[in-house]
Parts: sequence; structure tokens; C-alpha cells
Amino acid sequence: MIEEIRHVVAERLNDLDGVVALRKAADGVAPHLFRQGDDLSELEITPRYPLMTVVSKLHKTFPDVRLGVVARGCDERAYVEMAKREQIDPDRLTIIGFACTAEEAQECYCAAPYPQQLVVGTPPLPGPANPLVARYDAMSLDERRAFWKGQFVKCIKCYGCRNICPECFCEACAMEDAAWVEPGVLAPPFPVFHLIRAMHMASRCVACRQCELTCSAHIPLTVLYDLMRRDMETLLGYVPGADIAVQPPLSLTLTDAPLRASAGH
Amino acid sequence: MDVEFEPRIVAFMCNWCTYAGADNAGVARMQSPANVLPIRVMCSGRVSPEMVLRTFRAGADGVLVMGCHIGDCHYSSGNHRTAKRIPLLRNLLGYVGINPDRLRLAWVSAAEAPRFVQVTTEFTDKIRELGPLSQEVTE
Repeated sequence: MIEEIRHVVAERLNDLDGVVALRKAADGVAPHLFRQGDDLSELEITPRYPLMTVVSKLHKTFPDVRLGVVARGCDERAYVEMAKREQIDPDRLTIIGFACTAEEAQECYCAAPYPQQLVVGTPPLPGPANPLVARYDAMSLDERRAFWKGQFVKCIKCYGCRNICPECFCEACAMEDAAWVEPGVLAPPFPVFHLIRAMHMASRCVACRQCELTCSAHIPLTVLYDLMRRDMETLLGYVPGADIAVQPPLSLTLTDAPLRASAGH
Repeated sequence: MDVEFEPRIVAFMCNWCTYAGADNAGVARMQSPANVLPIRVMCSGRVSPEMVLRTFRAGADGVLVMGCHIGDCHYSSGNHRTAKRIPLLRNLLGYVGINPDRLRLAWVSAAEAPRFVQVTTEFTDKIRELGPLSQEVTE
């Protein structure tokens, strides 16, 4: 598969200014902008990395540049939500999509382990739903609180979850604002810090699971975000990353994006 | 020493509807619970999730968000956002084990002084029943 991707990239480089992908580096891989003539045997596709963040930076810094990007399903979904929020210019981006392996889909509990603009590979079966979601969802309030307190107390406030997230691009971050989060307090008091992020992830989280992989305290963040994704779908019929033409409903009126389920109060 | 629990409740009220409704309730000498600390905001849409979370963190046992009925918003659709945001936040509180009933959204117009009294009274009773938030958060 990787040979095929390299081949496609070489072809596309004829009419693009560059293609963003991973490249072999001394200790693994790093994001790289491949230009025409570069050694494409150095192009890699593993491990997963949120390349759309790099695309966004390049698009903002170079307003005319036309790029390609080697993307998985989650990268494409991230792109969709970023484009809606003007972080990436869809007219200047070509997606060279490839399918994840069945094993990767399982590992990630991924419901859509391939991009809509699939160029290389065949779609594997979707992964199973994260079993933790159903498990914690079935708990009583007391049990959930005990569980999440135990998790959040491990947080060292490294901001890794935010920094890796392709959808976290605000210039001023509420998680750094002393009005909402006490500076210098460790672990961040239950539950404000983590719930701010969880609320901000509603309508944005595309389930790439980078935050959870990055978390040095091994907090199962995506369980919370999966629940928010489920709510967005039941309450507002919105699936982040699914359709670039559908605007995020939280900033629309009730006429343009009505509540589907009872508000519960 | 056993001291009876008195809930601390913060109510965010929109300037154009609920705040006037609360004012009318006062002018009409209606009784409403003194547990409720009013905070006037220009629109219920101004009440961000951060504000609600920080209010709980600062010691509130319950948070009320009140604004104009849908269709009556002074800013036309500010409360539409509130209508979507608060249910999500309620669910999220529940996911980490904080009783979602500690957060309530209610539409109260300027002409609804009795409704203001009813909502704040009901809510105060509910929170009294749930007990202090500190039981849940710090323990």
C-alpha cells in the first residue's frame, strides 16, 4: 500500500506545490512537506499523526500555496471540521486518502476507518464501539463520579490533549484563562478543567483519539468525548466530520438546526 | 453540630426578560427564596459552559439559567444557543457523576413574575433535597 501511496504522491506533485505527509526521521517519523524531486521512499504512513494541523499552519502562512495531504479517515474528518471553521481552505487542498488496516480500525474503535476521498486501499470493516462507553454509561452517578475523580486526579495539566487535537485551534484557550481555571493548581480541581474541554469538543470531536494516545496520565478522555458525540447526534443530528456542507449546529438558530430530542428539563 | 442545609443558588438572568420578571415579583411583594443570588447578563446566550462550571466550583449547589422565551430574544436568537448548550452541559455533568438536576434552564418573561417565583422555589426545593454539591465534588 505504501508503494502505491508514494506513487500517487509523485504524480500529484506535478501540479501541487507540495504534499504533507510523514517522513522517516532519526527516531521515527516527523511531518514533512514533500516537494517535487524529494526522495519519496522516505514517505511513511505510520504511526497516526494529526497532519491537518500542519496543513492549517501552512495554509495560514502561505495564502496562495496549493497542497496535498496523505490522510486517513480521521484526518479527513478533522479537515472537514477545520474547513468549516476557516482553518483550512478546501479549495487549496487535495486529499490523498488511504484506508486504515482492520487492526488499526479495531484498536481505535473507529466507525469510519477510511476517508470519503479514498485513493489507495480498500475499506476495512469498522472497529467495534468502545466497550468502556457502555460500561461507564451504565454506572450510577456515584460510581461515575468515583471513576472520573480517580482519572482526573492523575492529570498533570500538560495540555497534551489540547495541543495534539486538530480541532483545538483557538488563539486564547479557556483552559488557560485564570477566570475559569485556577493557575498553578495540580491536579486541576474536579471537574472544571476537563469538562471545559469536553464541552468544547461537542460538535468538533472527530474521534481521532490522538488526545487519549498522547495523555501521559492515561486518562480515557475519548469515553467522555464519545458520549458528547452521541449527544450531538441524538439531540442535534450532527456527526462531526461527516459532511462539509453541514454547519455546526451550536452556533445556528433553532430554525436552522432544531433540537431533535427532548431537552430533558 | 447539625446545621440545616441551605442551598446556595446562582441564577443567571437575562437583562430583557427574566431580570425584569424578577423585579416585578419583588415590586409585587411576592415571596421567592432568598437562596437565589441573581446575576444579570445581557442574554442567556452569554452564559458559557465555563461560567456555569466555575460557578459550581466557586461553591454554588445549583445553577439556574433563565432568559426570554424562544421567539422573544432581544438579540433574536441568543437564547437558541442557550437552548442547545444547556442540555449538553447537563448531560456532561451527569457523565462525570454530578446530578444534572443541579443545572436548570428556564424561560421566564418580564410579565411572568409568578413563574419566576415558581421556578426559583421549585429549584431551591430540589437542591435542598439533593444536598450540598461539596458532598459530590470534594467528599
